Formats: sequence, structure tokens, C-alpha cells
Amino acid sequence: MISVSRFLRKIQMPAMMAVAMLAMSSCLDESPKSLLDEDKAYDTPANLYINAVATLYNYIGGSSDSQGIIGTCRGVYDYNTFTTDEAMLPTRGGDWYDGGLWQNMYLHTWTPSDQTLNDTWNYLYKVIILCNHSLSVIDKHKSMLTDARTAAYKAEVTALRSLFYYELLDMFGNVPVVTSETTKLCDARQIGRSRLYARIIADLQQSLPYLPDERSNYEGDYYGRMTRPVAHFLLARLFLNSEVYADDDWTDGQRPDGSTMLFDIDGTKMNAWEACIYYCDKIDAEGYRLESDYAANFKVHNEQSVENIFTVPMDKVKYQNQFWYLFRSRHYAHGSAIGMDAENGSSATLSTVHAYGYGTSGQDSRYAINFYSDTLRVDGNIVRLDNGDPLIYRPLAIALDLTGTEYMQTAGARMAKYEIDRTAHADGKLQDNDIVVFRYADVLLMRAEAKVRNGDSGYADLNAVRSRAGMPAREATLDNILQERLLELMWEGSRRPDLVRFGLFSKAYDQRPQLPGEESGYTTVFPIPDNALEMNENLSQNPGYSKE
Amino acid sequence: MRKFLVTVCIGFLLPTCSLQAQKKLIPAPKDSLSRQEAIDDNGSVDVITEDRMNKGLVTNSLSALSGQSAGVNIATGENRIAQLSSVRVRGTTSLTGGNDPLVIIDGVYSDLSTLSTIYPADIASFTILKNAAETSKYGSRGASGVIQVTTKKGSGEQFHISYDGNIGFESKYKTIDMLDRNGYINTATARGLFYNDGGYNTDFQDVVTRTGYVQNHHIAFSGGGEKSSYRASVGVMDHKTVVRVNSYRNFVAKFDLNQKAFDDNLTVDFGTFGSSQKNKYPFDEWKLFYSACTQNPTFPAGRDAAGNWNKNTTASQINPPGALLGEKNDEKNLNFNAHIGLDFNVLALLTGRTNDEEASSDKGHLHLQAFGSYSYNSLEGAQFCPTWVWAQGRAYRGERKTEDWLGNVSLLYDNTWGAHHLTANLLYEYQKSERTGFWTEVKGFTTNEFGYDNLAAGSTIPYGGTGSDTDSPVLCSVLGGLSYTLLGRYTLDANLRADGSSMFGDNNKWGWFPSVAATWDIAQEPFFRALRDKISIFRFRMGYGQSGNTGGIDSYNSLSLVRPVGTVSYGGTPTVTMGQWRNANPDLKWETRSTFNVGTDLCFWQSRVVLTAEYYYSRTTNMLYQYDVPVPTFTFDKLLANMGKMSNQGFELGVGVTAIQRKNMELNVNVNLSWQKNKLISLSGDYNGTHLSAADITSIGGLNGAGFHGGDNNIVYQIVGQPLGVFYLPHCTGLKKNDDGSYSYEIADLDHNGRINIEDGGDRYIAGQATPKWTLGSNISFRYKAFDVSLQMNGAFGHKIYNGTSLSYMNMSSFPDYNVMRKAPKKNIKDQTATDYWLEKGDYLNFDYITVGWNVPLRARYITGLRISASVNNLATITSYSGITPMINSYIVNSTLGIDDKRSYPAYRSYSLGLSIQF
Repeated sequence: MISVSRFLRKIQMPAMMAVAMLAMSSCLDESPKSLLDEDKAYDTPANLYINAVATLYNYIGGSSDSQGIIGTCRGVYDYNTFTTDEAMLPTRGGDWYDGGLWQNMYLHTWTPSDQTLNDTWNYLYKVIILCNHSLSVIDKHKSMLTDARTAAYKAEVTALRSLFYYELLDMFGNVPVVTSETTKLCDARQIGRSRLYARIIADLQQSLPYLPDERSNYEGDYYGRMTRPVAHFLLARLFLNSEVYADDDWTDGQRPDGSTMLFDIDGTKMNAWEACIYYCDKIDAEGYRLESDYAANFKVHNEQSVENIFTVPMDKVKYQNQFWYLFRSRHYAHGSAIGMDAENGSSATLSTVHAYGYGTSGQDSRYAINFYSDTLRVDGNIVRLDNGDPLIYRPLAIALDLTGTEYMQTAGARMAKYEIDRTAHADGKLQDNDIVVFRYADVLLMRAEAKVRNGDSGYADLNAVRSRAGMPAREATLDNILQERLLELMWEGSRRPDLVRFGLFSKAYDQRPQLPGEESGYTTVFPIPDNALEMNENLSQNPGYSKE
Repeated sequence: MRKFLVTVCIGFLLPTCSLQAQKKLIPAPKDSLSRQEAIDDNGSVDVITEDRMNKGLVTNSLSALSGQSAGVNIATGENRIAQLSSVRVRGTTSLTGGNDPLVIIDGVYSDLSTLSTIYPADIASFTILKNAAETSKYGSRGASGVIQVTTKKGSGEQFHISYDGNIGFESKYKTIDMLDRNGYINTATARGLFYNDGGYNTDFQDVVTRTGYVQNHHIAFSGGGEKSSYRASVGVMDHKTVVRVNSYRNFVAKFDLNQKAFDDNLTVDFGTFGSSQKNKYPFDEWKLFYSACTQNPTFPAGRDAAGNWNKNTTASQINPPGALLGEKNDEKNLNFNAHIGLDFNVLALLTGRTNDEEASSDKGHLHLQAFGSYSYNSLEGAQFCPTWVWAQGRAYRGERKTEDWLGNVSLLYDNTWGAHHLTANLLYEYQKSERTGFWTEVKGFTTNEFGYDNLAAGSTIPYGGTGSDTDSPVLCSVLGGLSYTLLGRYTLDANLRADGSSMFGDNNKWGWFPSVAATWDIAQEPFFRALRDKISIFRFRMGYGQSGNTGGIDSYNSLSLVRPVGTVSYGGTPTVTMGQWRNANPDLKWETRSTFNVGTDLCFWQSRVVLTAEYYYSRTTNMLYQYDVPVPTFTFDKLLANMGKMSNQGFELGVGVTAIQRKNMELNVNVNLSWQKNKLISLSGDYNGTHLSAADITSIGGLNGAGFHGGDNNIVYQIVGQPLGVFYLPHCTGLKKNDDGSYSYEIADLDHNGRINIEDGGDRYIAGQATPKWTLGSNISFRYKAFDVSLQMNGAFGHKIYNGTSLSYMNMSSFPDYNVMRKAPKKNIKDQTATDYWLEKGDYLNFDYITVGWNVPLRARYITGLRISASVNNLATITSYSGITPMINSYIVNSTLGIDDKRSYPAYRSYSLGLSIQF
């Protein structure tokens, strides 16, 4: 029987193992049933559209921190809002210190190692790379589409990608450009702010003819989509900020001059202001108008607004996009009074409250729409604190750190603006009011500013906005226009680019002192996150920020 | 013969020189291992037979093992009950998962959760395999150690019935000392702070607790004839813990049959097992205890006169504890297993010889074994949050079902000629699992009466709350092994295993894992003969081997797939769209662990003193982990890949001494001690030609609660070059007095850059490790005539615990929104910056239980044994740790590792009486 052991021990055993492995190998193939092989997701033109184009709209809004350009916390919106003179998230004892995140935003003392900044960077690029992937998917499957359809699909994705590149351009200045999903890490290099700027404009302009000339904020076929008016708005904003975006070194104290920068717009040479006006006029021509009632744009059912241009579709049951801003602003007792929770946080700054003429005879009519202020009533009843006192929001008691102060819990005018959806879910975070991203009042103010910068009068546009609010006309100076942008566009997430454009962002304002060295303007862009620098050695940090 | 592999035969589980040298205190069943058998074998396995299992009140079979084996850590949850996925054999070796040891119950591959459902009295022995050469036989599943469980079988003799049972109660003996009504009001008044006075004086820690109650009953029948045996048992365990709403109930039934046929040349083993568990948990244990401690003590325990639940409105992070008790979080767990094993004595069957003739044959033995098993597990979860704690209410139902098929065929050859002994084996194995999940969530309730029992009472079913999934991983293995012994004292084992997993990339599905081990029994050497009456065993062993690990990853990570990612408007209708959600890695492959071990076993004076010692070093390579990758060019910032390295080393020592061994008196002392050291060597490597590296410093766990959102509240980290789970904290040099007379933590400028920056990489230092360097298990048992006493002590040393509970509850700046500890007003700290101020030594020695038993000397006709016992569990703890207990999670790498953060389950003792009768 020794032979048996030899049989097993010597040559045959590994051979038998190998045979057995071969026999079993086919069992190891995976065939998922609750996940879909990617190619099967694009089997029809409709599915190609749904899963390669429409799917990207999931990322405009969001439901978790740093995801979404608006609606959520610790992302693009917060970096454009709490870093400015418009609003702040003050520390209230144990609440809202959060490791100094909000104070750092207000004081401009953010660092390249901020996790929130890194998450925001990752979010923006994630969507860009998903767009790149969609473009290659459309190319791969274009045989089942007509050429017009292929062009339309690709234009929509390209324009959407431009929106995200625009946010990167605005926040981080000099960032790597990745336009193909096969781009290697070593080829992901920064190309300079002005080249990126030119590229975004070119992408948008090339997409325009193929985008549907339809309203995006109305429910229906084009609801929430990147339609031509939306792209027009984005172009107008890009041109209005051209002195900032075409500036490769924003710390040298010099900017290019918008009135001498020439762009080819539909075959005509225009300077930056003319280009801005051109696209504003287009939006005019597309039929957008001011709502007679300012508050109508922010109602629970605001899908019929003739003023809103681009919104994040909201529906507490159908969509997952969330809106945190009312929830995180109101006082706890305020939340209880409407049967929802609250986080007692974000408030208007002192300079904002003053800008509205709070407490004066000339108080702006939009103050009461944008803020909860003074004694709070819900359904006509005074809301009371635990001690029986009425809940009184104190706009003038606001400070960055309220810990230990008398009005620690109640200081600050709180965000109102959006009508409360009393049937909302998740403490009001899942509401039916669509979140306004772009609207026509902004178009009028952009055009007023561009006209003034171009040496013309912006009086009509500025005062169209003011008269809708029932406010007396003002002279269309740049200062008045900037202030009008604050009053009109409060809580809408565009204050930082405004202050940067006016050269005020790196100056002292409200209760904020200027940082040492900030006069160079280095804080007008955020640092490239440390994490991104560490993993891509081609990247260099923005000027003024040292790598920790 | 000695069987080698996955068989159901109990002879397989021959142990090493067992530490348990004493006579059995409890009448042992016939099939448990005798001492002689225990000394025969030459492995290095650790066997825990029934007499060594814990004898205090045991509420699940994992706790029977606690402290009994060096290098095996059974972590308990906050409730001191052994948790699932909480067993570590020689520490953590993988970052993604797959750190749970493989559990094999009577040859069936199983898991910790199934083991926890087996009635402890059904278990004959645990065998712990730790070294590569032993675990290699089980391939990837055994990469993190193997716990073999052998259940009791019929003896094949006359009919037996036995009853085992105990009843007991549990009462808390330590809670956190918070301010009561007077203290709360006086403190607020003295400081001129407004406070709510609800008019009551409530200790909310009492509100959420009760006197716990345990009862366990178990009946077993066994019998059979010359050729067959059977055993059947049923049991019930019912446990209501000291925390209201937290209870466990388990029914088990088990049947095993063994039949010999064809002149004993065929052995058939059949077994079936079923259990049904119903467990109720607190919905959010952390919030329950946080709320119980910090709720305003002047509020009533229940609703106020107006029917409202009172709360300080500014205390947004807590809820009224009474209201939280109205939440439901229930689980039903159903297990079923059936298995059959066949063993053919091939040569004897071919030649028509009987087993006895065959046994005496000098031509060797060839056995063909076939084994098949089917397991079914269903886990149903049901949750309900009433409208008073969750706006509009919320109900959830979900289920996970798993079916496992396992089949293997093996050939075993065994021969002895002259001084040579050879065994060889070849095994094919196939395992397939089918897992399905289904869940749904409903909101919008107008009544809380239905709980989760009628989901139609909820008005909305939000998108994303309902779903289902399925996957079916397959594992194939081929193993060849040889064992050769010369002169009965030199043994060489060699195994080669090929494991194939469906979860890896197309070209990487198979991994090859060899192992080799050698044993030298010095006591068998001629030159040792003179000493043999003093030293009966003196063995030296050494081994090296590799094993693969799938790291607990999910299926399909190597494939480019899409799944629903949300709903967008398409054609005016909300439409589900598909998209990517993670980076796929087509190159995904096996994580490999290579282990070297060297050890010795010694038995002196007829095993009156037994000593085992072992050193091991293991290195994990191609470590599976969610690595940070650059965005761009990756879409998502994590990639499951194989890079990094980690090492584990340790030394294990076991000593067993039978100090007294007389007819009427016996004293045994067993001690096992182990030292463990883990090091995360690297988290970088190449992927597709690009060098990638993960962050050197990653936080694992931090603090939660009011004022701890975001920011620099991370406590425990994984840092390259350090053990997994180190405290990385700012250094507090003491308390500094503020202008208002309060104190805050003075933080050192550790990097001497002139400013305090407590971010990662700033003013932080490595302040200690969260996992114990040393662990101790010790049992002392003493018998006098029919009476016996057994004391179990477990200890852990060399680690630290972050007392986040005290940091939070000593912070006067949260008062009076949140109640504080009684000593907080005097200390007057108004700061909750996480520094090393509250980092404390975690060393402890715990007296797990003491049991006193009496084997009643009956001479009844039908009763063969009667034992009555009384136990106290959680007797006492010796520690310098100031929190409720140092026995928090100090082993499992997750967000709670090393952090005592307001999960303040009260410390409690269990008192129980046990009765055991054999007929």
C-alpha cells in the first residue's frame, strides 16, 4: 500500500488539485442580480438619457453634508455664505463650535487641512468625472441615436459639467482640468485660472445651440434640467466676474480690465460687460419676469414662478434633495411650535441687519420676508421659552461667539425666506419648496451692474427690482447695486463672489478684522485641500497658503 | 485512527496537553475527552472541555469561553453580554473586516451569531486553532483563527435523560452620580441661571433600569445501541436585562444520530439544529443613557399632568428617557441546519473485511469522507419610533436571509510501517451562500398604537426607504496535506491549499496558501527516559504558513456596475436613475496573512503541572482596505484595494497546577496570560502603476453629543507605524482659571510654533493605545468532598480608556440645559475640549464569577447525578478607572474602541441558582 501514498504524495496530487481548480473555476464567476451590469443600463435611447444624462441631476442638490451646491450643510453654499458679511453661524455655548469650523469661515482662517473643504472638493470633482463618464457612454452608444440627439445629450452633460467647473473656478481658482475618464493622474494638471475660465465659456457657448430653449423651473419635461436659459444665466455670471476669473495671479494687486477684455459672442466682439448684458438680454427675451410678490418665489409650491430660472426640484416623498437651512437656523422653541426640530444656528450679521434698515422708519420690505426677528409668533400665537418668556430673536445682539452672553440662545435674525412647509418631513429638511439656485431678479442686478461698469445707466434694472419690493428708487451706483444684491438675494448663496468682485472680500467688514497679509487677496480663493496635494504631486498650492 | 479534517467524528478533536489537569468537578458525559486522550495528540491547539468552560451564569455560549484561552478575547457590549462579532483570536489582522474567527460547529462552517444560539449545556468542547498550520486547513475562513465546537452526542449506551437549568436575577450596583433635584436647583440658583422646575425629584437612571431576570432550562435525551447512538435536546433561555426593553429569548432544539454499518466500515453522522431567538434592544442605547444621565431631574419620570413629555427645550441632543423607552427595536433570528457526514473505510469495503480486521491491517487505511450541510438563517428587524420622539413617527421592517450550501469530499490515507507514520489527505470543497435582504420604512403616523405592526398606518413611504438586494458569493477550495511522523517523536506537517473566491477580480480569484509545521517530542527521546516519570510531555513545535482573507468585503467590488442612485424628473415624472456609487477595482485580490509560531508544551508529575508557551508573529500583506484615492482622477475618494501591511505578534503562556490532589480534596489553579502587539506598517502602494497612499493619520472614533459635532473631537486613530487604535490627543497641562472663576483645560503647544492648533497633525501626540498589551484569564477551583468552589478572574493591562462621559458630564457650560455630575459644580470646569485630561489607565482585574456547587451524593435507583450550585457574576472589579466600568470595547476596531462616551450601561451583578440532574 505504499504505492497509494506515493500516488498521493508525489506527482499526482498537485495535478489533481489543478484539475479540481479548473473544474470549479466557472463557479466563481459573479452574476449580480440586484446590481446592473453597466452596459445594460444604456439599452435604449430613453435609458441612455435617464442613466447617462438625467442621473447627473441627482448631484445638484443633496441629502448629506458637503453634497449638493445648495440645500445641505458644509458645502459650496456655506463657503459662499458664512465667509461673508451676509450671515454667520455663531458659537452658542456648547452649540455650533464644531471645532472652530464656522468661526474659521467667518474670520477667513480656514486651512488646507479642513475636512469640509476636502469633502467639497471631492464632491465637485466627483460630479465632473461622472459627467466625463456620461460623455464617453453617450459616444459609445451613439449608434442608436440620431446625430441631433447625440449632440443634445452631450451638450446637456457638457453644460452641466461647466456648472461644476464654474464652482471650482470660483472657489479654488487654479485647478486641474480633467475632461476624459481615461485621464491619468500625471496628466491632471492645473492650467491656470484664465485658461479654465476660457474653457468653461467655450464649453457653454458650444453647448447652447443644442440645449432646449425651455423653462427649467416649471414642472414637466424640462423640470430641473440644464436648459438654455440656465446656461445663459451662468454665462452672464461668468462674464460679470471676468476680472476675477481671468486673473491668473489674484495676489499681485492687479486685475485685468473687463471693459478691454474682448470675447467672441455669436460672431460679435464684445467686452466682458457687453457679453454679460448680451446674455441677460437673452434671458429677458426668453420671457422671464419678476413675480409681483417677492415671497412667491419661495412658496411651498413655487414651481409656477415666472421669475425662477434654475431650481432644485423638491418633493418630500419623490425626491431625496434636502433643505437644511431653516432647520439649522431657528430656535428650538420655534421648531417645537411648528412640530419640527431645530438647531438654533445661522443668523444675519449686524451689517446685514443694518443694511435692511432694521428698526428704522425706512426698513426694507424684504426684511420681514427674509428673517424671523423680534417676538416670534406662530399661527398668531407668541412662542414661549421654557421660562414662559416670549421667544424674542435679537438681531442686534449677534456676535461670532455668543457663549456666556445674555442672548446666547436668541441673538440674531433667523432665516425665513422660504415658506414653512407644515407637512414637511425630516424636521423640514424634506419640504416641497423648490430651492432657488438662479432667478431673474439676479439677472436684472447683473445687467444693472454690467451697464454701470460699461459706463451706461443701470437705473431701470436696479429700480425694477426695488420697486417690486415696494422700495423707493435709488441711483444705480456700484455700491447701491452691491447693497441691493444683499437685500434682494439674501440667503441665496452668491455673496462671496459679489464681495470678491467688488474687492471687498479681503477687507475688514461687519465684525470681521482683516487678517495679516490678507490685503494681497489670497483669501479670495480657498486653498487646494492638503489631501488633494498629497495624492497628486503635480498640484501646487494656491498663493498665500502654506502646505502644513 | 486520527482523523484530520472537517469531519463530524468527535475523535477528530484530539487536543494537546490540556491545561485542565484536574478531575472533573461536574460529572462529565462519557464522550468528553479524557485526560489520556488529551495528552496523546501533538498539535498546538487549545481545547476547552466542559469542565473548563465558565460555570457562572452563562447566558450565551460565547461567554462560556471568556478568559479560558490565551490570545482569545471575548469582548462584551456595554451590557456585559458577549457580543456578536466580538471575538478576536490573536488580535485584529485586517482593516476591512474578516477578523471574526471561523466557527465550526460539528463540522459545519458557521459564525459567531449561530454559536451564540447554541445552548451552552449542549457543548462538549471548544477547540481553538491559532497557528497557521492548523488554520490553513480551513483556508480563508480560518485566517482569523478557528473555534471548533463539538456538541454532545449520544453515548451509544443506555438511555439517559439530563436536566440543566438555572434561575437568577440581576441588579445594578453602580450608576453615574449626577445631581439630584436639590443639587440641580441649588446649583442653578447659586449661579443665577434660569432653570425649569418640573416639581419632581427623578433619578432617570432608575427610570430606564429594573431588576433583571434570567432563566435557562435544558433537557437532553440520549441512547442507542451497539451500532448507533443518538442525542436529542431542547432548551430555552430567557433573559430580561437590567435595562428596560432589553431582553433576549432563545429556543433551541438539536438532534444527532450516529450509525455504523457494513461491518463498521461505514459511519454515518446526521445532525440537525434549530434555534429561534427573539431579542429586544434599546433603539439607541447611547441616546438612552445620555438622556437618562442628563435629563433635568425635576421632571417627572413619565408624562406630566398635561400628558406631555417634559424636556429642557435647549437640550436638543437628548429626549425624555421615558419617551425613549417607547421606541422599539426588535429582532427575530431563526437558524436551521442539517448536515450529514459519511465515512467509508475504502480498502476494507473493497476487500470485504470488517473494521476490526482492517484496523489491524499493516497496509494502511484509506478513508473516503463526504460531508454536506445546509444552513438557513433569517434575521428580521422591526423598529418603531413614536411621534413624541420622532416627528410624524417612523416604522421600519427588514429582513436578511441567508442560505448556505457546503459540500466536501476528502480522501484520507493513513499508514504506519516500522518507525514511520504517514497520513495524507486530499480535499475538495465548495461553499455557496445566497443572501437576500428586504426592508421598508414608513413615516407619517397619527397614532402610536400600532407600533410596527401595521405599516398601513403610516401615510408616506419615502423613496430610498424601501429596497431589496441579493448576492451569492462562492468559495471553492482544494487542499492537499501530508503528515509524517518518525519514531513517534519527529512530526512534519505540510499543506497546500488553493482558495478561490468569486469576490475577486477575474485574474485573481485563486490564491495559493502553503503551510508547514514541525513538532519534536523531546520527552520521547531515549536520552530523556530517566526524566520521563517527572516530565511526561516535553514538546517543541514550530510552524509557518499563509492564509488568505477576504476581509469581510462584499461581492461584486471588482465589477463595473450601476445601481439606483436616486430619482430625478424625467418627462415630468420622478424617475429612478442608475449610476455608479463606488470605484470598481478589477484587480481586487486575496489579502494574505503569513504566520510564524514557535512554542513548547510541558507536563510535569503526571500532569500535576502543565505549562504551554508560544510566540507568534504574523504579517498581513496585500491588505484590503478602503484607500484614499485622488479625486480627480478617481470618481470617488475611496477605493477598495490591496496595498498596506500590518503585523501582529504575541506571546502566550498557560500554566495549570493541581496543587492538591487527594481523595477528598483538590485544588486547581489555571492561569493564561498573553501579550499582544499590533503594528500598522504601511497604507500605501501601487495601483495600476500609480503610487497611492492613504492618510497616515485616520480617526476611528470620537465623541458625540452636545457641542461635539464635527471639529476636533476625534479620540482614537489608526496611525501608520503605530498599533491600530491609539489615542492621539492634545496634551492638557492642567486646569486654568478663567475670568469668571470657572476653569478650562490648558493645552500645551506641543509643536512649539507659538499657537495652539488641536487639529490632526497640530498640537497632538500619541498618548497610549486602546487595546490591552496584556490579558489575563485565571480560574481557581477547590473541591472538598462533594463541595466545590470555582472563581474566575479576567484582566487586561497596558491600555487606556478615554473617559468622554466625565468630560461631558463635568462640563458646567452645558448646565442647566443638561444635568451634570454631583462633583461638577465644585470643580467648575466650563470646557469640553477633548484633551488627554480624561485619558485614564484601563488596567483592570475583574472577578467574573464565583460558583459554589454541591454534587449531592444520592443513591437513588434512577438518578445518577445531582448537582446544585449558586453563582454570583460580575462580583467585583479592581481598577483605577474612574468611570462605571473599564470593561468597555477594548478589542474590536470600530468607533467605540477605547472610548467611554456616555454609553453608561449601569454596572450590575447576577445572582443565580443552578440545578443539574442526570437520570
